[in-house]
Amino acid sequence: MSTHAYYREAHPLIFVITHWINLVCMVMLAFSGFYIHYPFFDGFMGVARGMHFVAMYVVIINLTFRIIAAFFVKSANKMGTREVDLDIKNWLPQEENKHQFWETVKYYLFLRKEGVISGKYGSLQKISYLATIPLTYLQAYTGFCIYAPAMDLGFFKGGLELVGGPMNMRIIHYFIMWVFIVFTMVHAYLANIYNFAPSKIIFLWKETEAKGH
Amino acid sequence: MARTVVDPVTRIEGHLRVEVEVTNGKVSDAWVSGTLWRGMELVLQDRNPEDAFWVSQRICGVCPISHSHASAQSTESALGITIPNNARIIRNLIEAAQFLHSHILWFYTLAALDYVNPVNALSANIADTYALAQAAGTRIADFGAVATRLKGFVENGQLSIFTGHEGWFGVGAEKHPGYVLPPELDLIATAHYLEALELQAVAAEIIAVMSGKFPHHMTSIPGGTAFVPTEQKLDDILFRFTRVKEFIDTALIPDTLAIAPYILGAASFGGGCGNFLSWGVFEAEDFDPYKRYLPRGFIQTSKGLTAEKVEATDVNEYVTHSWYSSPSGLNPAEGKTEPAWEPYSTDGKYSWGKAARCKDLPAEVGPLSRMLVGYVNGVKPVKDIVDFALGKLSAAAGATLEPTVLVSLLGRVAARNLEAAVVAGWAIEWVNELIAAIKGGDSSYFVTERAEAGKGVGLWEAPRGSVGHWMTVENGRIANYQVVAPTTWDISPRDEKGVPGPMEQALIGAPVVDATRPLEVMQVAHSFDP
Amino acid sequence: MAQEAHGALHDLLAVRGVSRRDFLKYCGSVAAAIGLSETMAPQVAAALEGAPKLLPALWINGGSCTGCTESIAQVDSPDVATIVLDYLSFEYFETIMAAAGTWAEENITKRVAEGGYIVIYEGSVMTGQDGNTLFVGGGPNNEGAKKGIDILKEVASNAVAVIAVGSCAVDGGWVMAHPNPAKATGVAAFLQKEGITTPVVSMPTCPVNPEWVVAMVVQLLLVADRDPAKFLELTQWVKYTYHDGVTDQDVTLTLPKGIYGQSIHDNCPRRGHFENGEFVTELGSKEEAMGYCLYKVGCKGPQTYTQCPVTRWNRSASWCVNSGAPCIGCGGLNWVDNNAPFLKRLSDIQFDGFLGMGNTQPGHIGAAVGGAVAVGLVAHGLGMKAAGRIGDGPPMEEMKAYDRKRMAKKGGDK
Ligand code: SF4
Ligand code: SF4
Repeated sequence: MSTHAYYREAHPLIFVITHWINLVCMVMLAFSGFYIHYPFFDGFMGVARGMHFVAMYVVIINLTFRIIAAFFVKSANKMGTREVDLDIKNWLPQEENKHQFWETVKYYLFLRKEGVISGKYGSLQKISYLATIPLTYLQAYTGFCIYAPAMDLGFFKGGLELVGGPMNMRIIHYFIMWVFIVFTMVHAYLANIYNFAPSKIIFLWKETEAKGH
Repeated sequence: MARTVVDPVTRIEGHLRVEVEVTNGKVSDAWVSGTLWRGMELVLQDRNPEDAFWVSQRICGVCPISHSHASAQSTESALGITIPNNARIIRNLIEAAQFLHSHILWFYTLAALDYVNPVNALSANIADTYALAQAAGTRIADFGAVATRLKGFVENGQLSIFTGHEGWFGVGAEKHPGYVLPPELDLIATAHYLEALELQAVAAEIIAVMSGKFPHHMTSIPGGTAFVPTEQKLDDILFRFTRVKEFIDTALIPDTLAIAPYILGAASFGGGCGNFLSWGVFEAEDFDPYKRYLPRGFIQTSKGLTAEKVEATDVNEYVTHSWYSSPSGLNPAEGKTEPAWEPYSTDGKYSWGKAARCKDLPAEVGPLSRMLVGYVNGVKPVKDIVDFALGKLSAAAGATLEPTVLVSLLGRVAARNLEAAVVAGWAIEWVNELIAAIKGGDSSYFVTERAEAGKGVGLWEAPRGSVGHWMTVENGRIANYQVVAPTTWDISPRDEKGVPGPMEQALIGAPVVDATRPLEVMQVAHSFDP
Repeated sequence: MAQEAHGALHDLLAVRGVSRRDFLKYCGSVAAAIGLSETMAPQVAAALEGAPKLLPALWINGGSCTGCTESIAQVDSPDVATIVLDYLSFEYFETIMAAAGTWAEENITKRVAEGGYIVIYEGSVMTGQDGNTLFVGGGPNNEGAKKGIDILKEVASNAVAVIAVGSCAVDGGWVMAHPNPAKATGVAAFLQKEGITTPVVSMPTCPVNPEWVVAMVVQLLLVADRDPAKFLELTQWVKYTYHDGVTDQDVTLTLPKGIYGQSIHDNCPRRGHFENGEFVTELGSKEEAMGYCLYKVGCKGPQTYTQCPVTRWNRSASWCVNSGAPCIGCGGLNWVDNNAPFLKRLSDIQFDGFLGMGNTQPGHIGAAVGGAVAVGLVAHGLGMKAAGRIGDGPPMEEMKAYDRKRMAKKGGDK
């Protein structure tokens, strides 16, 4: 039995910061979004709407920055190592990810005993992390579609007509939010299921040494 | 024997077709069809019970208030809700405004042209018209101006809504002999026709103030009302009710009494099936349908002029002659709606309307039913005004007329207008009742708590007759919905036993003076305000 | 000049005590409604007064409740008598016309042959049961009866323009709501399918607001001088494209922008309360007495694009929100399915029996999925604990060798 080491090279400081920004904004978005959906207490609508817009812009800028940074910043290319590589390379399937998708699924379904070898992240992880990128942009798009000052612009109007009007778009916006919530739940769970070392490094930038080799 | 058809029957709500067989100048058989099917009951399936309030009223754009109130009551009875007293009064007021709106519109805009000949009015002597109006105690208008406007209109040659009917009025063809009023009375009625257009709109404004808009209103949501009156709004309502009541007292009633002596013949035909149903309307404080301002009851004139009790379970609907494949004879609580068109045949299927029956009998619904049930129950304003009108008619006829004379075309026309007067009087009382209740500190308008399941029925009255909405709710959703609309009763086709519906029976026996221009058929059909 | 024009209409209004100023004010509001500046009021007045001949019109009831007709009777000024007698020559108008039966039918045939008329169509286009869900005008035993859809084809083919009034005529309205039992559709969709190219102006809300219909008629008379091409060119429009299920095609609707260009929410007098977060939580409550915003009780003002708060209803007496009721979005497309349940924020999704589900609230689906995942994760966590994976993680080193071997066997890496 063993655990990995969690070194700062896994998450360079700049990504610790973007992760924080993302987390804070997402919480604000979900909270203000739920409030706009159904104002569960009085006196907050103006603030909630302002918060929703600002947080959305920040999330989008932050995400775009994070993507660009991936092409310039190096990070650890495997778990538990200080060996680094260009971050973007660690996003995409690495050598160690090959043929691992079903094995990982089996592992989580308790159909195989051993943990699956992976690159910096497992196959499932990479797929879901990558999927959040277009989903975040899509969520911004659906938001603009139901935002009165934007919805008449051809780019958004086309989408509205495609789904059959603002109500359907609002429902889509609402469902995508649930996808984010579910993602966050699973993400937080899987990241911390063995121990809290991953949280220590991503939030506090504190290293943990490997154990039990 | 010749068949004559009137399709479309115009000046009504919706699409109606009447086919009659004329033998020796009299209608010997009749078939009445509803020629439109939209499937409201199926659209409501699986929706939230409250939604039925908004959607189901769209069955009828002329009596949406009553449908919505029946619907709200069905939801409330299914989910165990009793609405607050203020909501009860507000609903009564909205309903009353619709009754007044509808009755005014019906008499002047829809039915009058069966009796009143505006072309004939052109030959009226203006001075005589004023004299006649004064003698009849009816409302003075600028009769000269109306005559001028009318003249310009006829001479301009573009007859608008009179196009195609001018021959009946005597333009370019021989006047239909059924138009018997003197020109001065025609002019008075035409002047009031124009004024009525204004007054029906004033009545509708009352609904708008309390419920957003008319037709299709917004606030009588199951649980009570969303309308919270302000002093200003109560003033607006009272002011308008007063105006409408004044018009009814000074035009509608005197005009009815002035016209009646010329058409006394209409007292001897058009009576129909002789069974009268009223579910009752205008809720009283104790929510007992037999104590409503216009109470519930069922009259079979064959057993005498007495009212018996009647419940939702007494209703069933046959589809023997209607375009449905669903089982025939079901009570609406278990009702089904499965459309199945096949070619029209008076021997087979000929209507989209189901044949509604009460205690297995065809039943006429509408103001005549309500006035008769009210009369035998001794409802004071009803009894007073009916007796007053009978007195006037007796004088004109030179004989003492019994209340049973009301079971006729003339009675049906008169009953509607008399009812308007009664309701207008109550409406003003109710505004004051509401003001007193609010001043007394009652600020409850809506009940939020409700059950998730149940079976309910709302039985109520529209201006044109009894309306019932049946609802089954499971898991907070509508599992079954059935509507028996006023017209479903009156224009119902034959049932399983081949017994014709109320309008069909009323048509049988009616004279037809000119078989190519069946004015009397129109008069009888219109008298039901279908 | 228009200022001096004293036409028959003006005289008539004068008799009724309507001053020239009031009349011009009215014309100004008509002008505003059709997207003209208020300075056009004198021209509007001139058009109303100076028209040499009444514009012939056929008012056709399809699958209607007659509510739009009722609504027209509630028009402000000019009042309904003026419209019906002095502006438009309604040669067919089932609800108010004197003639009936074949006499009425002939009016249609004659007018269609002559041309130069507009059609105002109320109600949905009934295609169900092979078009027999609506038929009119047969002889004995229904010989020669016409289906509603055939009448529409007949009258539309030679009209100057068709005005589809009320949501039913626009896209089928409530009648086309799920499951659309009578296969109702809208005028624009139906005519497009039939290849009839007469311009169609769509005017939703249930029923139509009468002032807006008057505005459109005036627009046709005034700006366009009864020329449909000019009418289309000189009016500002909003276009909506939607997929019509009954005719199975994409349809583009044309709505006057002055009326359907802004959301109800943007013009709502309660908007300040919305921004301040002051809401009615229970209908008919003291918050309602204070005129708070109805958003929480399902108001669909934010997604409905009509001038209701500006024009209001029944001669400006009130409008839905003003009386305490949330807007139910009756001016939108497919308005029942897109807005019901009316007291809820989001509409139902129609699953139509898919996975055993009927109409379902999105919130229930979202919460159910979120809840299921939460439960799943807790269960999984317990499983992880039982499997002894927590704390130290799974056996990795041994596995690496195993994996390498397996990958090599499959021709994987080194
Ligand atoms: S009442 Fe409706 S339209 Fe008015 S501000 Fe509130 S949500 Fe918007
Ligand atoms: S406010 Fe909303 S519900 Fe009322 S008429 Fe306008 S669109 Fe329809």
